[in-house]
Amino acid sequence: MEESSGLSSMKFFSDQHLSYADILRPHEARARIEVSVLNLLRILNSPDPAISDLSLINRKRSNSCINQGILTDVSYIFLSTSFTKSSLTNAKTAKTFVRVWKVMEICFQILLQEKRVTQRELFYKLLCDSPDYFSSQIEVNRTVQDVVALLRCSRYSLGIMASSRGLVAGRLFLQEPGKEAVDCSACGSSGFTITGDLNLLDNTIMRSDARYIIIVEKHAIFHRLVEDRVFNHIPCVFITAKGYPDIATRFFLHRMSTTFPNLPILALVDWNPAGLAILCTFKFGSIGMGLEAYRYACNVKWIGLRGDDLNLIPDESLVPLKPKDSQIAKSLLSSKILQDNYRDELSLMVQTGKRAEIEALYCHGYNYLGKYIATKIVQGKYI
Amino acid sequence: MEGKFPISETTNLLQRIKDFTRSIVEDLAEGRSPKISINRFRNYCINPEADCLCSSDTPKGQEILTLERKPQTYRIDMLLRVLLIVQQLLQENRHASKRDIYYMHPSAFKAQSIVDRAIGDICILFQCSRYNLNVVSVGNGLVMGWLKFREAGRKFDCLNSLNTAYPVPVLVEEVEDIVSLAEYILVVEKETVFQRLANDMFCKTNRCIVITGRGYPDVSTRRFLRLLMEKLHLPVHCLVDCDPYGFEILATYRFGSMQMAYDIESLRAPDMKWLGAFPSDSEIYSVPKQCLLPLTEEDKKRTEALLLRCYLKREMPRWRLELETMLKRGVKFEIEALSVHSLSFLSEVYIPSKIRREVSSP
Repeated sequence: MEESSGLSSMKFFSDQHLSYADILRPHEARARIEVSVLNLLRILNSPDPAISDLSLINRKRSNSCINQGILTDVSYIFLSTSFTKSSLTNAKTAKTFVRVWKVMEICFQILLQEKRVTQRELFYKLLCDSPDYFSSQIEVNRTVQDVVALLRCSRYSLGIMASSRGLVAGRLFLQEPGKEAVDCSACGSSGFTITGDLNLLDNTIMRSDARYIIIVEKHAIFHRLVEDRVFNHIPCVFITAKGYPDIATRFFLHRMSTTFPNLPILALVDWNPAGLAILCTFKFGSIGMGLEAYRYACNVKWIGLRGDDLNLIPDESLVPLKPKDSQIAKSLLSSKILQDNYRDELSLMVQTGKRAEIEALYCHGYNYLGKYIATKIVQGKYI
Repeated sequence: MEGKFPISETTNLLQRIKDFTRSIVEDLAEGRSPKISINRFRNYCINPEADCLCSSDTPKGQEILTLERKPQTYRIDMLLRVLLIVQQLLQENRHASKRDIYYMHPSAFKAQSIVDRAIGDICILFQCSRYNLNVVSVGNGLVMGWLKFREAGRKFDCLNSLNTAYPVPVLVEEVEDIVSLAEYILVVEKETVFQRLANDMFCKTNRCIVITGRGYPDVSTRRFLRLLMEKLHLPVHCLVDCDPYGFEILATYRFGSMQMAYDIESLRAPDMKWLGAFPSDSEIYSVPKQCLLPLTEEDKKRTEALLLRCYLKREMPRWRLELETMLKRGVKFEIEALSVHSLSFLSEVYIPSKIRREVSSP
């Protein structure tokens, strides 16, 4: 989709083909907002006045591209430079246009106060200030993504709070600037919480003697592995995002992969489309988080639960796929980035119509999980 | 706060499990059916007279299971199967969740609910808490503030970074060396409110401990709160949304849940005060009209059901009044609505002034 040149469009860094979101300090984010305001005024004040359109990077699949790693093992999804236009003069996009400015206004105020705000608080503020334009949380969330797409900075940079869902435990020492080093193997039964503050994560020093990094999909499994101190039998570090990964956990994983480039990253997920989707998000990034996600892609390998493990679990633990699973499977299968062996696994799920959770392995005893992982690692059975 | 008896009594429990099993075998050897008596518990009823015995934790009736009826036989069978697994957990000093137990034998257990009931039966039979059986689930709670403690060898020094969220420990019985300089404990319903307080650096200017269950509180959060109350003897204030769901959460913290009614003493927070948000607050603090959302039909039904609970009539008439006001006005609102005019309103005005008022009122 070509964009027209001339004064009627605003552009930010459009000479680069890969669109990405920067992590900015508050004053830098404010500066970008100020620049967009000045641009609007400049064009409004020019001899040929016009209200400029907003060029938002297209967050649809049509604008997503795949970078296949040739010399590296990392492939990722990113958003290219196709834009959608939001214009005040177009009846369909006029409301979107105004919403973007309203959100930028509030974010500016928040950044000025050096505070952060949750999306829910943002919703209530907008509901009171501009009830004609905002009537639901979804509209607010979408507009926030529009602002991210316009200013090309991360949601966190705009002053929106990030919740920390990730946990880490194992043979790892973390040292935040100005603090003592934390030993992630002496973390009680719950692991060490990964902060949502990306700046802080960027400046954390990491030291480790682990041989593997293992991503665990579910909190309960993570807890079991940590309680059994499996990281002492298999020298490793466990990470979980307690489900679908948030940016902070992915950022943390990425930092670990660059700090310890020789450590294989293995993933332990349920045998169902949702589990594979989680693995793929860690591995490739996602379109929904398109602008922020690409840079945290890592070479993740699938260790379990896989199709050839099905003989280890009783038949009763194979339960039918839910309708949502079928939807996720369809979406994954149509993605160009999925490699063949993952495609085969997914097809098996769809054909048999079944799925299985990792807990199914407990039929062999609740300490079987450690042995299972160790066996798979020793046999090199990960894809 | 150690449930019905301290953890050092694990050997005692193992012995009792053996004795129980032996008595069943003896009964069978002599050709008669064992009689297993399971007490029934509840923490509230909807008796309009409110002269029930719900406030005491004595059993309200009992069931006697024998092998003479097929469904009861099945229930005894499941109880024994789960008991076998529990025995193993205790002997090896390992922990498992209810889910884990189901997966150990899915063909026998057939459904999670069957395992859940068997565990409840065992707890009632042996008069103990679930964690005494080493059955625990991962927790979802967060804590921050003027607190220091140790759990399973790890030091939690919340004092060091007052506005960082620490996870509430799951193995609450292994928490020791609790040290605190707080003046009160604040329990909030939602993680977003917790984040707001952290972002406002609430604990810097207010000497307190803040806990959230991130919604409906799980067992480890409730136990941890109870532990802090017992060790620190601090007043506890609860901040929830002004809607039926928020009130339900408040009631669970204060009065316990029906599901765990047999273990009420270790799970509830008596004397917990309701800080807010009250329906009357929307006028006092000028909440804009757009933020007052209408009660749905589901909300109204929920509220009416809550109003029937005997403990409200008997112990907290003032809470009941506020709930009736909510139903009458037909609107609800979230805590965030209070911060519309100023983000730090909650931390700087609302909470401190309410706490001061609570302290000074009789």
